[in-house]
Amino acid sequence: MAFLEYLSDPSTQRELISQTLDHIYLTAVPVAIAVVLGLGLGILAHRSPQLRSPILSVVSTLLTIPSLALFAIMIPIIGIGAGPAIVALTLYALLPIVRNTVSGLFSVDNAVIESAKGMGMSATKRLWKIELPNAWPVMLAGIRVATLLTVGIAAIAALVGGPGLGQEIFTGIRRIPASGSLESLLGGTLFIILLAVLFDLLYLAIGRVTIPRGIRE
Amino acid sequence: MSDVTNSDTTSHLGEAAEPGETMIELQELTKRFPGQEAPAVDRLSLKIPKGEIVVFVGPSGCGKTTSLKMINRIIEPSSGHIIIDNEDVTTIDPNQLRRRIGYVIQQIGLFPHMRIGDNVATVPNLLGWDKERTRERVDELLDVVGLDPRTYRERFPRELSGGQRQRVGVARALAADPPVLLMDEPFGAIDPITRNRLQNEFLRLQGELQKTIAFVTHDIDEAIKMGDRIAILQEGAKLAQFATPEEILTNPANEFVQDFVGTGATLKRLKLTRVREVELTDDALTGREDEDRETLRRRLAESDWTAMLLLDREERPIRWLRTPDLRQQQRPLTEAGLPARAIVEPQATLSDALEEMLLGSAGVAIVTDGRGRFQGLLDVDDIILAIQTMRDTEAEFYRAAKLSDPDDEVSA
Ligand SMILES: Nc1ncnc2c1ncn2[C@@H]1O[C@H](COP(=O)(O)OP(=O)(O)OP(=O)(O)O)[C@@H](O)[C@H]1O
Ligand SMILES: [Mg+2]
Repeated sequence: MAFLEYLSDPSTQRELISQTLDHIYLTAVPVAIAVVLGLGLGILAHRSPQLRSPILSVVSTLLTIPSLALFAIMIPIIGIGAGPAIVALTLYALLPIVRNTVSGLFSVDNAVIESAKGMGMSATKRLWKIELPNAWPVMLAGIRVATLLTVGIAAIAALVGGPGLGQEIFTGIRRIPASGSLESLLGGTLFIILLAVLFDLLYLAIGRVTIPRGIRE
Repeated sequence: MSDVTNSDTTSHLGEAAEPGETMIELQELTKRFPGQEAPAVDRLSLKIPKGEIVVFVGPSGCGKTTSLKMINRIIEPSSGHIIIDNEDVTTIDPNQLRRRIGYVIQQIGLFPHMRIGDNVATVPNLLGWDKERTRERVDELLDVVGLDPRTYRERFPRELSGGQRQRVGVARALAADPPVLLMDEPFGAIDPITRNRLQNEFLRLQGELQKTIAFVTHDIDEAIKMGDRIAILQEGAKLAQFATPEEILTNPANEFVQDFVGTGATLKRLKLTRVREVELTDDALTGREDEDRETLRRRLAESDWTAMLLLDREERPIRWLRTPDLRQQQRPLTEAGLPARAIVEPQATLSDALEEMLLGSAGVAIVTDGRGRFQGLLDVDDIILAIQTMRDTEAEFYRAAKLSDPDDEVSA
């Protein structure tokens, strides 16, 4: 009951909506940067056997650093606010994107690549016209996982003064056991879950539009 | 008698020894894969005459695919030269080279994300043809390989059967009308009946197109059927024999070839004779579905035949009818009697025809032209006669060879 009261309060609503918008920003920007970097690194790792294992080990290692520690490390380097959060979240988002780009490219049927080659398609054309379109469903799945991961971890950004729904959650945690603290905690969490569902639906739509019909499930 | 045979034999061998203009020449072509002691292809030299199908055949791992892929440089040769149409292409830009060479592989490799039409248009698009020309060409080619453009152009590869995909693969390779085609076991992954049909269709197509084709298979029967010439390869792509199918069957160069060709050379030779090369029974009794029953019955009664072949309005055979079938009134003619089975085209081999007869438990094969119109009948006797003739020719060949033996001794 108290939770419904909390939700129906106009000032809470305003707060939650503004934090949600911040959270979207805090998710979209790192994911966008990670997509650009991750595709590049993924293509590189696929092309070059020498670079493959260094690239994959580095991005995997990044994901094993506890998020709290990574955010904290960013403070002396970049300061507080959205900046360190965006850098840290970008690093986290890299792994699923790089890994799926590599495995997506490897999943393209060799016969398909060989016949493209046999018809005189240059390596660049092959990449853009044949390999990437066929690897795209797997790559998109990686981007989706990266996004959901970022939505969750972005909550921690509040600890380094970052914006987003994490603020509501930590406000709640700091005030425990005061009245209303549990509501804040739940409210922030609920909106993060809603946001994740929304992103998931968005990716479903993106998949519909961008995955060529010939290879759609 | 032996005079005639001698001149026959000479002309036959002469034909094999003097091919026409060379389209593809391999000079000492060698491929050494890193970390392997023996080269996969060891100094292969070979000339492929313009407009001919040369089949590379040999046991698994002997280097057929490697040899073929060096021609369009999917595999770069370690040494040696490739000359195509008098141009040394060993070091030119491979992408330019490949656009002039059609390439068909067993796994086909259609682009799954592209529609059939766009798959076929790949090389024209690379060459920058305008849209209209490309579209016309795509439709023309789909038609040529027996796929209705309106039905199939907009489909995706996964919406096609294996045989249909392979047809698209051939259409795609032919798109920019390349003078040369490379085919690596193109019909290898297809069921025997469809394979046979595709082989026949392809031979008919080749009759019109006259491409220069290097064709890889590990199946000697396919080699005999498809090849104008056969290159039998041994480990390391060493040429065990390079000759016409007839020559290989009658005169295997060594034990390896003999073993590889295997038993049943006579039966295999049925694959060398095409239906169009033997005399058909063309006075067969036929009737048309739009004729009157009574007219048909009278015609059958007045003939020496026990059955009549019913043709549809386009002259395509549909049923075999006997007198009782023509007397009864209950069933329409198109459902009376027995269905017309064992239908073959003129470019089918006698072996195909025989097989069709056995499959259809029919004593005769019905020969139709490319559009399915009735041409004549071929019966078991015709085939036995053909075998007989081949035996005689062979016997005469050996007799002639024997006669010339003493001469050899004198000169030696
Ligand atoms: N990329 C490669 N790297 C190393 N060795 C290879 C490579 N490709 C082929 N080989 C070797 O070269 C030899 C010839 O192979 P190739 O594929 O040409 O045989 P093939 O005659 O086509 O056989 P099959 O009938 O089985 O297709 C084999 O011993 C094979 O192991
Ligand atoms: Mg092979």
